[in-house]
Amino acid sequence: MGFDFDMTAEDIKVFLDEADEQLQVMEAGVLRLEKEGESPEHLQEIFRAAHTLKGSSATLGHRKMAEVTHAMENVLDKLRKGKLAVSTAVVDTLFACLDVLMSFKEEIATGEEGDVTTEGIISRLGAIDQAATGATAPVSAAAAQGGSPVAPGGMPPLSPAEEGHLRAGQGRGLTPVWLLAAVDKNASMPAVRTFQLLLAVGDAGEAVRSWPTLQEVEEDKLGEEIKALFLTGQRLDAVRTALAGVPEIQIIELTALASETGARPAPAAQAAAAVMAYQAPEVLTPAAAPAQEKSAAAVKGGKNARTVRVDVDVMDNLMSLVGELVIDRTRLLQVLTRLETEREGDDMAQVMSGALAHIGRMTSDLQDEIQRARMLPVDNLFRKFPRMVRDVAQKAVKEIEFVILGEETELDRSVIEEIGDPLMHLLRNSVDHGVEPAGDRLRAGKPAKGTVTLEAFHEENYIIISVRDDGRGMDPQRIRTSAVRKGLITEDAARRMPDHEVINLVWAPGFSTAEQVSDISGRGVGLDVVQKNIEKLNGSVEIRTEVGKGTEFRVKLPLTLAIIRSLQVQVLDTTYCMPLSSVVETDRIPVSAIQTVRQREVIVKRGEVIPILRLIEAFELERPEGYVEPDEYFVVIVSVMGKQIGIVVDTLIGEGDVVIKPLGTFIGDVPGISGATIMGDGDVAIILDISSLINTVKAELNRTGSELNSGRR
Amino acid sequence: MAQQQQRDTLTQIVVFQLGHELYGAEIAVVREVGPLQRVTRVPRTPRYVEGVTNLRGRVIPVVDLRRRLGLEVSAPTKATRIAVAELEAGQVGMIVDSVQEVLRVPASAIEPPSPMMSKLDADYVQGIAKVDGRLIILLDLPRVLQREERKVV
Repeated sequence: MGFDFDMTAEDIKVFLDEADEQLQVMEAGVLRLEKEGESPEHLQEIFRAAHTLKGSSATLGHRKMAEVTHAMENVLDKLRKGKLAVSTAVVDTLFACLDVLMSFKEEIATGEEGDVTTEGIISRLGAIDQAATGATAPVSAAAAQGGSPVAPGGMPPLSPAEEGHLRAGQGRGLTPVWLLAAVDKNASMPAVRTFQLLLAVGDAGEAVRSWPTLQEVEEDKLGEEIKALFLTGQRLDAVRTALAGVPEIQIIELTALASETGARPAPAAQAAAAVMAYQAPEVLTPAAAPAQEKSAAAVKGGKNARTVRVDVDVMDNLMSLVGELVIDRTRLLQVLTRLETEREGDDMAQVMSGALAHIGRMTSDLQDEIQRARMLPVDNLFRKFPRMVRDVAQKAVKEIEFVILGEETELDRSVIEEIGDPLMHLLRNSVDHGVEPAGDRLRAGKPAKGTVTLEAFHEENYIIISVRDDGRGMDPQRIRTSAVRKGLITEDAARRMPDHEVINLVWAPGFSTAEQVSDISGRGVGLDVVQKNIEKLNGSVEIRTEVGKGTEFRVKLPLTLAIIRSLQVQVLDTTYCMPLSSVVETDRIPVSAIQTVRQREVIVKRGEVIPILRLIEAFELERPEGYVEPDEYFVVIVSVMGKQIGIVVDTLIGEGDVVIKPLGTFIGDVPGISGATIMGDGDVAIILDISSLINTVKAELNRTGSELNSGRR
Repeated sequence: MAQQQQRDTLTQIVVFQLGHELYGAEIAVVREVGPLQRVTRVPRTPRYVEGVTNLRGRVIPVVDLRRRLGLEVSAPTKATRIAVAELEAGQVGMIVDSVQEVLRVPASAIEPPSPMMSKLDADYVQGIAKVDGRLIILLDLPRVLQREERKVV
C-alpha cells in the first residue's frame, strides 16, 4: 500500500533529513547510556529528539511513528525523572525502538508501507513503563536496603507453589534469573525454537515458571515473547552463551535477580515483593570515569551551523564545470603563445596575458573551495558503527570496548559514501574473528574485554583509516594450511612463501580462516570484496598483525575521489597516468640491465629481483612504422600490497593532479585501466590500474612456477 | 508500432557519408556533429573502438563507423566528422566521412529493410529512404553501437 501524505516532496525530504538527524542523536544517546550509565544530560537529549520526531511525524501524518515516539517519550520521561533505572532491558528496548523508527522512515522515503507494526514494540515499552509504576509500591522497602527499584518488565505474578520453589532455590544458593526472549519474526518453526529455548533453560538450571509453559508450546499456544523465571548455579554469562546457542532466538533480557555471590533467602513475608525489587546486577550505573573529550566533539557536531544542504550531484557538476574551465584556460594560453610570437609587442596580447593569469588564480581558488565544500568529517560515517559493533559483539557473545578516534578528520563526500561498507566489514571481521572469546583472552593473560579501535588521520595527501583489535592476530601457519586446503596455493609454494606474503593470502577470493562460518562475517562476502571496493576508490589496504597481540587493517585513501596525484608517462603517442600512491621510484636503465629469468624479464635492484612489464607488450600496442627500439628505458617501480613490478615506458612526463573520469559503460571494464582523464591540452590520458597490472604479472609467474618479489633468485 | 506512427509524419534524418554510400540516423539519436579531434586509443578494446575523446570536458568513446559496419577503412580527410549519438549507455562518438545535411523524410518514402540486403547485417538497418533519387540507408544506431560479448583478452 502506498502512502498519501498531505505534503510536497520537498517537505518530505526535509522531514527525512530531520528524522535522520534525530535518529542519530537518539542512537548516540542510547549508546552512551549503555556505556556510561545514566546521565540526566543524555536522557534529556534522547527525550528531546524523540519529542521532536513525535511532533514532525504527527504533522506529516505518519501515525505509527508518532505512536512509537510517544510511547518512547513516556519511558524516557520516567528515566529522566529517576522513576526508572537504566538497565540492559531498557537499552535493548530503546535500540529496538530505533530499528522500528528506522523502518518507518524507510516507508516514508519509499512511499511504500512495510510490514513492521507498532504492537510489539509498544507492548515492550509498556512493559517497562508498567514495571516502573508497578514497582513503586514495594520499592520503599527495597530502597531502604539500598536497592534500586527495578523489576523485570512484564513478569506475570507467580503462584504460591512457584514462589516457594523460588525461595527454596535461593536457600540452596541458586540465583533466580529472569529471561525475556523472542523468536525471530521470520523463523519458519517458532514452536520448535521456543521449545529448544525452554529445554536450554532447563539444562542451564531449574525452571520455576515459563510463559508459555512447555505444555502450551506443544499445544502451539505461542505469544510474541518467551518469558521464563529459573534458578541456576551457573554464572550469568555462561547461561547467556548456552541460551544464545539456540538458533533464531533473540535474547532481549537476561537478568539475575539477586547478586551472584551472596544470594540470601529473603524473609518469607516479603519474598515475592523482594524478588520483584531485587536490584539486578546488570543495572548500569554511571561510569566513574569523567566524560571523554569524544562527547565534546559530538556536541560540537550537533550544533546548528550556518549551513545549507546541497545535493551531491550539484557538487559533482560544479566540480566538472571547473574542470572544463581549467581546460579552456589552457587552450587560451596556447592562443596567447601564438599571439605573442606572431605579433610581438601587441598590447592585446599583454591584456590577454594579464586576464588569463587572473582567470588561472580564480579557477584554482574555485577548485579549492569546491573541494573544501565536498569535505565532511568522517564522524558522519563513524557514528553509524558503535551500534553495529555492539550488535555484532552481543551476537558473538563477546565483550568489546569500541574506541573511535579522529572522527573530526575530513574526507571527500563521495569517498565517505563508498567506504562505509568496506569498513563495516572490517569491523565485523575484527569483532568476529579478531577478538578471542573471553575465556581464551583470560587464559592468554589479557583483559576479558577486547578492544576494537577505529581511527582516522591524515598522512601526507592521504587519509588513513585504521581498524585494529587486540585479539589473537593472524597465524601464518594456519593461513598456509587453510590456503592449501582450499586449493589457493600448492603446498610447496606455501612452504616457500615468506610469512608477510602468506598473510596477504587472506585477500584471495574464497578465503576465510574461520573454522565455523558465523552469520556475522562469514556471509559469502569475503575480504577480497573489501579490497576490491577500496581499490575502486584508488585506495589500498594493508594488514599488520602479530600473533597473540592483534591485527590492524590500514586503509589508505586519497583525500578525494575525483582528483588523484599521478605520475604521467608516455608510451608511443599516448599519455598514461599512474596513481602516485603506488609509485615507489623511477629509474633509467640500459637495455642490457634487463635479464631473463624463466622466460620472464626482470631487473635487479638492490639485490632484489623485480619482474618487469612492458606496456607496449601488455597492451599489444601497434608500433608505428619505422619504430626503433631505444637503447635505454624508463622504468617505473610500482608496488601494491608488498608486490613490486617495474613498468617499462618510453618517457616520463611529470607529476600532476588529474581529475578521474570513468570510461563509461560502452567501453566497460578494461583490465589494467581504471579510467581516463583530460590533460591540460585537452587530450585524453589513460589512468592505469596498477594492482590489476601487478596481478597479471603475478598470474603469469604462477603459471611458470616462480614467485613475485621473494627477494631470491 | 514505430512505423505506424511514421506513416503520415516527417522523420528528421541526419545524413552522412561512409565511402560512396549515404547513411542516415534519426536526429533524436544524433546529438551533435563536431570536427574530428584527437582520439586516445584505449588498449584491450575491439578494433572498431577508435578510443576516447574529450567532448567539452567529458570523456566519450569513439567508434569508427566504417570498421563497425565492415566497410573499407580509409584515412581521415578534412571532411571527416565525429557524430555523437545519445544512447542508453551514454554518448558515443562515431567517425563518419562527412555529414551532408538534415532531411525531412515522409514516412511513406521509407522502405523497410529487404531480405535481399546482404552487404550489411539487416539487423543494423531500420529502412531505406528514397529522397530525390538518392538512397539513404537508415541505421538503427542503438543496435549498431551495441557492444557484443567482450572477448576475454
